[in-house]
Amino acid sequence: MTREGPVKCVVWDIDNTLLTGIYLESGEQPPGADPVLAAVLAELGERGILHALASKNPPEAAAHTARVTGWRFAAAECGWGRKSDALARIAATLGIAVDALAFVDDDPYERAEVGFALPGVLVLSPEEAAEAAGWPEFSPPVITAEARRRGEMYAERQRRQAAGRSFGGTRAEFLETAGTRVTIAAAAAADVPRLHELAVRTRQFNSAAGPAGAGMTQDWFRDLLAARDSDVVTVRLCDAFGDDGMVGGCVIARDAGTWTVPLLMMSCRAMGRGVIDAVLAWLARQAARAGARALRVPCVVNDRNVPLRLALAAAGFRVPGAPGAGDAVSSGQAPAMYTHDLAPPLPGLPGWVSAPGERDGGAA
Amino acid sequence: MTPAGPDGAASVADQLRAFLASATGRDELRHVPPGTALFGTAVGLDSLTGTLLLREIQRRFGVDVAGEDLNLDSLATLGTLAAFVAQRARPDAAGP
Repeated sequence: MTREGPVKCVVWDIDNTLLTGIYLESGEQPPGADPVLAAVLAELGERGILHALASKNPPEAAAHTARVTGWRFAAAECGWGRKSDALARIAATLGIAVDALAFVDDDPYERAEVGFALPGVLVLSPEEAAEAAGWPEFSPPVITAEARRRGEMYAERQRRQAAGRSFGGTRAEFLETAGTRVTIAAAAAADVPRLHELAVRTRQFNSAAGPAGAGMTQDWFRDLLAARDSDVVTVRLCDAFGDDGMVGGCVIARDAGTWTVPLLMMSCRAMGRGVIDAVLAWLARQAARAGARALRVPCVVNDRNVPLRLALAAAGFRVPGAPGAGDAVSSGQAPAMYTHDLAPPLPGLPGWVSAPGERDGGAA
Repeated sequence: MTPAGPDGAASVADQLRAFLASATGRDELRHVPPGTALFGTAVGLDSLTGTLLLREIQRRFGVDVAGEDLNLDSLATLGTLAAFVAQRARPDAAGP
């Protein structure tokens, strides 16, 4: 796979990279932070880029590095295994694609190992990383309030996941217990930068990811806000562990008889928290109330957005005339037309969802 | 291709149950009958657990469910998924 899109997380080596020496060889006085790279950490963090550590050191080295750089790392892998394996685990922990990672290490052998095993990762020496703040891969087109809080939100996510693992009940029960609130609302002009950011950043939950989504600029969203036969919708999420802000959105094209959703997107941070299911159920209910008989979500089929296809299948969407099971799914072609027949009974909506047309917090 | 016998599907179903129970932390999923709907309330497969399950199937049996079934109809029940996987499992990707 080749690189596409911006870097979402930089994975840093510790010895002679973020630290000005070798942790285990420095005795009583562990080395301090490299001042240039500490400034790069802060600059990229402001832009919503996450930082993680991968080091052949005991875990205390990660705690020391966090202390001297003043940075809270979203993930840390300390051990003596291959760094490419550490990067794959970090990507899985954070719920992002491996090729949204960059990797910085002073050791050319480690850089070669990661570059060979994970060709989608942007591999940099510390000298290159010092310059990286000016590179397009590290310059997201817009920086939103959600982006600035991203590092903090991953820490909240780790606490939420730990609570979820020890909970024992069903996921629906956990969401209820965690005080989950999903708020679906009509978009306003101030929402456009974040909507655009979601359109370009999301991969796993993006019905138009890739070339099909290339035209979804801020102006495209502004034109839709003014259009009479379209709706732009925002989705916000919070719970007792933290406020994730706007995590998703969609565009609805209303036509007599059929509603079509040319764009449905959600941050993978909201995965497993009932958000995409709530949005799909609300869309079906709202379309049916408006008299539509079918709801359609054209969805590009690729190996990245399998989570979105799972959500569509779980919500009862099917592709009419699709080849039967066993025929290979062709990807990169025209979008598949996922369709929901709006005959009753309509899907229910949990009480913790508030949305237009749903009375009293959307209780089903 | 391994022969698609009822034994193959039953063994796959057992492995899928064990995986679902460990991925969700819900021990009762070790005992779901084959006819149980995966997306229904009993199992409550969502996009997160579904993605983990499909990744595990690919790793353990070498079967790319999402790549071979656009509508994911094979995920209707535990039994349909186990049969789908058992028919396509590659012997060299066999599990424990």
